[in-house]
Amino acid sequence: MRGWAWLLALAVALPLVVGVAGLPPHDAPDAPIHTHVGARYLERGVEETGMKNLVTAVLLNYRGFDTFIEVVVIFTALAAVLALPRGAVRPASRRRTEDGRGTGDPGAADPDAPAGANAGRLADVDGEVPVSPVVGFVVRLLAPFMALFAIAMLFRGHVTPGGGFQAAAVFAAIFIALGLVMGRARVGRLVSGRAQPWLQAAGPLAFAAVAWAGWRLTGHFLGYPMHDHTAQEAMALVLEVAIGVGGGVILARLFLSMET
Amino acid sequence: MLLFGLDLDYVAIVALFGIGLYMLVAKSNLLKKLLGLNVMETSVFAFLVTAGMVEGGDPPILVAGTGAPFASPIPHAMVLTGIVVAVSVTAVALALIVQIHAHYGTIEVDELKELP
Repeated sequence: MRGWAWLLALAVALPLVVGVAGLPPHDAPDAPIHTHVGARYLERGVEETGMKNLVTAVLLNYRGFDTFIEVVVIFTALAAVLALPRGAVRPASRRRTEDGRGTGDPGAADPDAPAGANAGRLADVDGEVPVSPVVGFVVRLLAPFMALFAIAMLFRGHVTPGGGFQAAAVFAAIFIALGLVMGRARVGRLVSGRAQPWLQAAGPLAFAAVAWAGWRLTGHFLGYPMHDHTAQEAMALVLEVAIGVGGGVILARLFLSMET
Repeated sequence: MLLFGLDLDYVAIVALFGIGLYMLVAKSNLLKKLLGLNVMETSVFAFLVTAGMVEGGDPPILVAGTGAPFASPIPHAMVLTGIVVAVSVTAVALALIVQIHAHYGTIEVDELKELP
């Protein structure tokens, strides 16, 4: 069946080509995407949301429900990854070592490690490949500047390109780069164990808090007081910071918990 | 740019989608299947962002120095959501692949099928 995969791909792609043939040209200003609700956002978005970056305005204000569920999705993904058993021992009968693929499994090394002892297990995979001192130095040198850039994107996200998710990606990149040169275990300990669950849940928690505040202020779940720009900015800022920090911690933890 | 009345950008995106689907179906390695899925996702994001662009458009950030016409902000926000969901799917799939490797010592579907 696999030999016919190209036929399947073709069978799906051809109707899609026919479909896109019926679309308006992608840069036409009179396409529905520009004349429908998008036009109204461009016309009144700044006045209604107080945010000059309309992508942020759509994300946090007009389509806030979407983003609420989105942070719940990534939080759930982390929960699912962390819920998987770690270092499970393979049944001996199924172990395949003849082709070399089955070797080097750190899980088999310490089968009696407790389920929660992630930090100790992470240390096993560290230090297998020595890191070039040049790479290590440059990464450690650049890390604070990357952090500065992420913070700038976080707090200027409503007037410049950027915002919470972009800052989260940069925050996570810092952790991942440092984890590669310093060892995952050391980086994993940078955030204290007690604070971690709260930071990982920061996005959904902040959204719930802002949604409740909006309900008290306007009578609508996740409602923004339309003419009180200070309150709007405060609510958006809380969400941006929570998404940036929470998202960064989640992405970094996802990377740090991947081990073979 | 048009080719036989077709928008070339859209055709390229559909081609990318087809390549991703092919990888997803034809490859036996689970990691390569996941890469194929990500290629498909990328093509969808490219489609949405391309559809939201306008001739000579500025990014939809209404500060000094930008002016009409603006690109539509909705596809950008939707793609941002989509990227996060794609990352979540990739993370869970990778974690499962790691588990499969730890249990069976292989991530080739062909070999997994032959296991007792």
